[in-house]
Amino acid sequence: MCDTEVFNAYRHRWWDMSQRRRTFISSVGTATAIGLAGCLGGDGGDGSGGDGGDTDSDGGDGDSGPAARVGMVYATGGLGDGSFNDQAQTGAIRSADELNIEYDESQPEAVQDFGSLQQQYAQSSNPDYDLVCCIGFLQADALTETASQYPEQDFMIVDSVVEADNVGSYVFGEHQGSFLIGLMAAKLTSQDFSAGTGSTQSDSTSVGFVGGVEGDLIGRFEAGYKAGVKHAEEDVDVQTAYVGDFNDPSGGQEAALSMYESGADIVYHAAGNTGTGVFRAAQEAERFAVGVDRDQSVTKSDFSDVILASMVKRVDNAVYTSVESVVNDNFEGGAVNTLGLEQNGVEAVYGQQLGSEIPQGVKDEVSEIRQSIIDGDISVPTDPDNV
Amino acid sequence: MSDSDPSRNGDDPPAPDSDDRWSQYRQRLIRLGQTSVGERILIAVSALLLSIVVGTVIVTAAGLMATCRSPVLTFGSTTLCYDPFYVFNRLFLGALGDPFAGGWSPLNAQFAATLRETTILVFTGLSVALAFRAGIFNIGTQGQLIIGALAAALTVLWAGSLVSGTIALVLFIPLGLLAGAIGGGLYGAIPGALKAYADANEVITTIMLNFVAVRVTLYLVRNHFADPTSQATQTRTLPVEGQFPSILFDPRTDFSLLALLIALVFVGGVYYLLEHTAFGYDLRTAGIQPAAAEYGGVDSARTILKSLTLSGALGGIGGAVFVMMTLGKFQTGIPSYGFDGITVSILAGNNPIGAVFAALLFGVLKSGSNVVAFATNVPPQLVGVLRGLIILFVAMPEFFRIIGRRLAAREPDSPAAATAGGGADD
Repeated sequence: MCDTEVFNAYRHRWWDMSQRRRTFISSVGTATAIGLAGCLGGDGGDGSGGDGGDTDSDGGDGDSGPAARVGMVYATGGLGDGSFNDQAQTGAIRSADELNIEYDESQPEAVQDFGSLQQQYAQSSNPDYDLVCCIGFLQADALTETASQYPEQDFMIVDSVVEADNVGSYVFGEHQGSFLIGLMAAKLTSQDFSAGTGSTQSDSTSVGFVGGVEGDLIGRFEAGYKAGVKHAEEDVDVQTAYVGDFNDPSGGQEAALSMYESGADIVYHAAGNTGTGVFRAAQEAERFAVGVDRDQSVTKSDFSDVILASMVKRVDNAVYTSVESVVNDNFEGGAVNTLGLEQNGVEAVYGQQLGSEIPQGVKDEVSEIRQSIIDGDISVPTDPDNV
Repeated sequence: MSDSDPSRNGDDPPAPDSDDRWSQYRQRLIRLGQTSVGERILIAVSALLLSIVVGTVIVTAAGLMATCRSPVLTFGSTTLCYDPFYVFNRLFLGALGDPFAGGWSPLNAQFAATLRETTILVFTGLSVALAFRAGIFNIGTQGQLIIGALAAALTVLWAGSLVSGTIALVLFIPLGLLAGAIGGGLYGAIPGALKAYADANEVITTIMLNFVAVRVTLYLVRNHFADPTSQATQTRTLPVEGQFPSILFDPRTDFSLLALLIALVFVGGVYYLLEHTAFGYDLRTAGIQPAAAEYGGVDSARTILKSLTLSGALGGIGGAVFVMMTLGKFQTGIPSYGFDGITVSILAGNNPIGAVFAALLFGVLKSGSNVVAFATNVPPQLVGVLRGLIILFVAMPEFFRIIGRRLAAREPDSPAAATAGGGADD
């Protein structure tokens, strides 16, 4: 009834998978499953089902296999969040394409699952994972524990620092990217500029910053931004507000509206979904806003008529860099890698719709300053109190 | 409550056709309500198998639609990306740590994860079941669990700053459980008092109080009890004496046999309370026939308040166990154990002993999803669909059975119900 070749290919894979996960399925169960699965192949089966099994066994033996095997443990938002996790996955896909590695991914449901997934990757010996990527600072506590239990396993964590000899920590130079945003904002508020829905008020030179929750991380955004503004124009006023929540768009809207009403032309947010309210306020007040983490003129395209630029955090580059170092055998455990402008960890990306209308003079200056930061001529503070 | 649909239908008959059909359905539901334990187990097992069959079809369909690097099967241009048999194999066998594999030990890490989830779900299941038996829909177990969790964490942290050593070892866990019970109990008493003395619908108040609990704990932890060394919104880690010891199991698994035993003791306690005490009798009577209970001398306001307080306390203890066993600290974003408790309770037919098995099924599904996530490339959303299907299939007969029993209680053929119903309508 069923195509024998498919049948065999299937059994091959089944056996292979079982071995891989160190599983033994009771013979009765296997027989039934194979019987049914074989029928799935049906008449259309042309034997190419064997490919599945072959590809899989490639991964098993290290000699002819991929350059490295990477386990990805995503943050709890899961894939499809249009932000952090998706960008991390982009990095994994790029590594797979360019570095000939293979990766497995898992999306934990809750915080208590981080530890067990990290352990599963660390424990697995067939295949052996060369690197386990832990995405998001919430994994830090679990990783501190896991890393000490598996000293032979290399880990990397994004957005947090775990002090262990086998963990590479990747943090971003948010302050550097924000510096460029501040510079651009100060230049634009000091001149007559209109594009899309927004325009700057010529009689006032003021810009704003809306933060999510006060803390070291968002403080870096604020410090860089303020320093950038100051660097460009000494007398431009910066208004700051913290909404206290990363997921409160109406709070963000209120905060931004009051800034626009008191004369701010451009408001930069580092507030997650609260920032959506900032964009809404910008449209209402017919001024400008600056996005964060990803190119928000694309991800929030409804607001592309007010988004001048976005300070992009390249989580994908963090993943790629760490995988690359494993492939090249120069992975540094215990190191804290700050991905700033130089490493393309952060970037100021102009908006899809408005980017072309920003005066070339401003853009030139931004790229000039970018180079000076990379060269170390300008040092950007990380604490807003030191600006 | 007393002007129920059946008796109203009897009073002013509408079109005879629909009335006939309705009474047919009603008879069937009532018959379903009278099934024996053996029959119910048989129904549950067949429902489980049926849900797996339907799930297999869905996984296969999804596997045919998805694109992937290494398909399981390829025929012509069509590829099958997910292997439905392997998914269910991982979901169930994986959650138990592969019992058919060589060298299986019940102490394996994945089984520990399953029991870890089960333990907390037993508490939330009991919490919801107790309220259900009193005729109260406590949708607020989640909120009570969160408050209990924070209360336990703060109490143990505070105690940890005062004493340590042997006294702490003996004292901290009971202290934390007590704090959780008091926190959750008081938080359950709020909707209890609102319902008992102000006739506020407990469904609305408990749902709303869930949000209040999330926000209040967020505020408290962020502004007053935050761990300064962490980026996450969490309290400091509890002292070791305040964390459940992992007996027999690997300490890495965050599971404690002691916690599971305590959960089972509570199961026995709630069963005894409901079935063998005067208060339990009052509670159940109030749940089945509030008017009759009142007539029989039950102080319904007090019963409501007491049941919701007890229900909240059980949820709060669940939160305390989550903090002291699973996380070792309080962190915002507590998983939805309280809401799962509602399903656990329905699955168990609101029976405390049944809650153990329902919680175990839930625990298997929760921990199995992680194994599926690790072992296959099936997206977690699809695994969520499978979980939902299984629960829906297993819970629905139970759900209809509960309806059937309520209908039977109001059946006009039974003389007591007839007088009660008729009297209320007149």
